[in-house]
Amino acid sequence: MKQIALYGKGGIGKSTTAANLSAALASQGLNVMQIGCDPKRDSTRMLMQGRLIPTVMDLVRERGDAEISREDIVYNGFMGVRCVEAGGPEPGVGCAGRGIIATFQILERLGALHADVVVYDVLGDVVCGGFAMPMREGYAEEVYLVTSGELMSLYAANNICKAISRLSSRSRSTCRLAGVICNAKNIPHEEELVAEFAERIGSFLIQYIPRDQVVQQTELNKKTVVEFVPPSRQASIYRELASRVLENRRMDIPAPLDIEDLERLAYEYSP
Amino acid sequence: MNTPRDSGCTLTGALSVTTEIDGSVTIVHGPGGCAHHNFSLFHTLCIGRDDPRLPRLLSTDLAEKDIIFGGEDALDAAIRKAIEKNPSIVCVLSTCVTGAIGDDVDAICRGFHGIPVISIPTAGFLGGGFRDGHVQALISLSSLAECGEKTLSVNLVGEKTLEFERDEHFNEVKRLLFGIGIPICTRFICRSSMEDISRLSRGSCNILRDSSMCEVGNYLKGKFGTPFIGSFPVGPGGTIRFLEELGAVFSLDVSGAVAAEEARQERMFEEFHALKGKKVQFRDSLGNMTDSEVCSEIAESVGMDVHPAGQPLTVPDPFPVGTEGVRRLLRQWRRACRA
Ligand SMILES: Nc1ncnc2c1ncn2[C@@H]1O[C@H](COP(=O)(O)OP(=O)(O)OP(=O)(O)O)[C@@H](O)[C@H]1O
Ligand SMILES: [Mg+2]
Repeated sequence: MKQIALYGKGGIGKSTTAANLSAALASQGLNVMQIGCDPKRDSTRMLMQGRLIPTVMDLVRERGDAEISREDIVYNGFMGVRCVEAGGPEPGVGCAGRGIIATFQILERLGALHADVVVYDVLGDVVCGGFAMPMREGYAEEVYLVTSGELMSLYAANNICKAISRLSSRSRSTCRLAGVICNAKNIPHEEELVAEFAERIGSFLIQYIPRDQVVQQTELNKKTVVEFVPPSRQASIYRELASRVLENRRMDIPAPLDIEDLERLAYEYSP
Repeated sequence: MNTPRDSGCTLTGALSVTTEIDGSVTIVHGPGGCAHHNFSLFHTLCIGRDDPRLPRLLSTDLAEKDIIFGGEDALDAAIRKAIEKNPSIVCVLSTCVTGAIGDDVDAICRGFHGIPVISIPTAGFLGGGFRDGHVQALISLSSLAECGEKTLSVNLVGEKTLEFERDEHFNEVKRLLFGIGIPICTRFICRSSMEDISRLSRGSCNILRDSSMCEVGNYLKGKFGTPFIGSFPVGPGGTIRFLEELGAVFSLDVSGAVAAEEARQERMFEEFHALKGKKVQFRDSLGNMTDSEVCSEIAESVGMDVHPAGQPLTVPDPFPVGTEGVRRLLRQWRRACRA
């Protein structure tokens, strides 16, 4: 079982990339599970024809965690991708991080975590220990950073490296940085910049995904690109990403840059 | 010095105040365990004091679910339940976990009218201990004081309600005050009623239990303009100074009372003539050597000889209050010296 997690700045395209990646992997005949680890619960929507599935935390709130079965929380989407949304409290109350931890405990208890590939789509910033849960022992071993060439996006990715390198220094930890995905904003020299950033932190650029109108179009049709327009260039790029992820053997302990180096790097590539 | 007595659980410090209010119910907003271990402690204490009542504690009994979704609804429900018991006041104490997830306890408490519902911030992980809980509770509850003219009287502030000799300390201060003709306006807070607390602003001087209550003294000075005396009296000389300090605060001639107290102390020292010439040394409650000034003063007055090879005598913490406190101490020491 391969378990991968996507981390990156808020709004950078993690859920879009995760859903298309899952769709492409499933199209190859793999058994795939995608777990949205974000109270916003919109990770799996495009795999579910636009449906917001009930979240694990919704059910805990309504029934308490003893009354939950696997069927209540796992939903079959496009090509049999099994979708789970952690969900969480209303914005501004309680503790969303604890909600993620509780979700993982419930998934474990129900024996729901099994597939050829499990994809964890995690909220933008690793704001507390709860959101680092997918990186802990027994879960995602491969972390992919999703970033564009914009400074703040690189900054967020660099920050997440800190979490990865801290966790990976623990004795039994198997969590590593597997690669950097450039989800482009179509700014000049973006691919070179992100590739250089990836090298500098001790990893590599696994895929450049251009920014394309077709993504919004398919979103309006409540589908992934892979499902809605399989012959498109964008769909083939997601399929390429899927193959590279399956073949990828890189497992690095990243070395985060300090802020000055990061700024200098972004400056070097600015138009 | 920060003794283990001052650190520990913030909740316990606050509860040592709230459980002393007549007719109060205290809600501990957190997991059941936080209320339970405190309940046990206070219950044991009540039994030890021949008080058949159970401490009136309620817990919001939070579980993981409440932590994830927030514990505010559970608190609201618990306050309603507490009000059904017709209390004189509901005190709400926060705990570490509700502090960590940011439950807005103040806002929930403000939503209730009629019976006072007072929020006391006691999340211990923020760096407080027992003493901070005690201080916080007094500061929060001072909002119950009603404005009124000052009278010729004093308040006792921050008595340590769990202290073994609590009543002895109180009685001694009361005796000294009686000697100079100053009544006690209110005890803030020890065996107090809501009405007692409402009188807080009317005392003309606050006598703090000890220096750990300094923050409360300053707070009340700012709020009601009440000056304070920093501690209950300790040692023979300290007791005389205490009377003189009160005289200064109230512009009273206390020379008569001072002379009477000095005579009382003289008679007391004579009572312990058997200790005269005894070789002694002083140890604190942990068994370490100490050269306490008060002890040297007492030793000199009785005629004991402080010597490194002398009979070890324990200096209790807290030190007993006033002249009568010294008398109790000398009795203990006489037993230790088998004199
Ligand atoms: N390659 C792309 N081309 C065009 N638009 C894109 C691309 N990738 C993502 N988007 C758009 O960017 C927006 C944000 O994407 P998405 O919701 O996937 O981000 P996210 O990183 O999951 O955000 P959050 O951190 O809020 O969960 C979406 O509206 C999506 O359509
Ligand atoms: Mg997302």
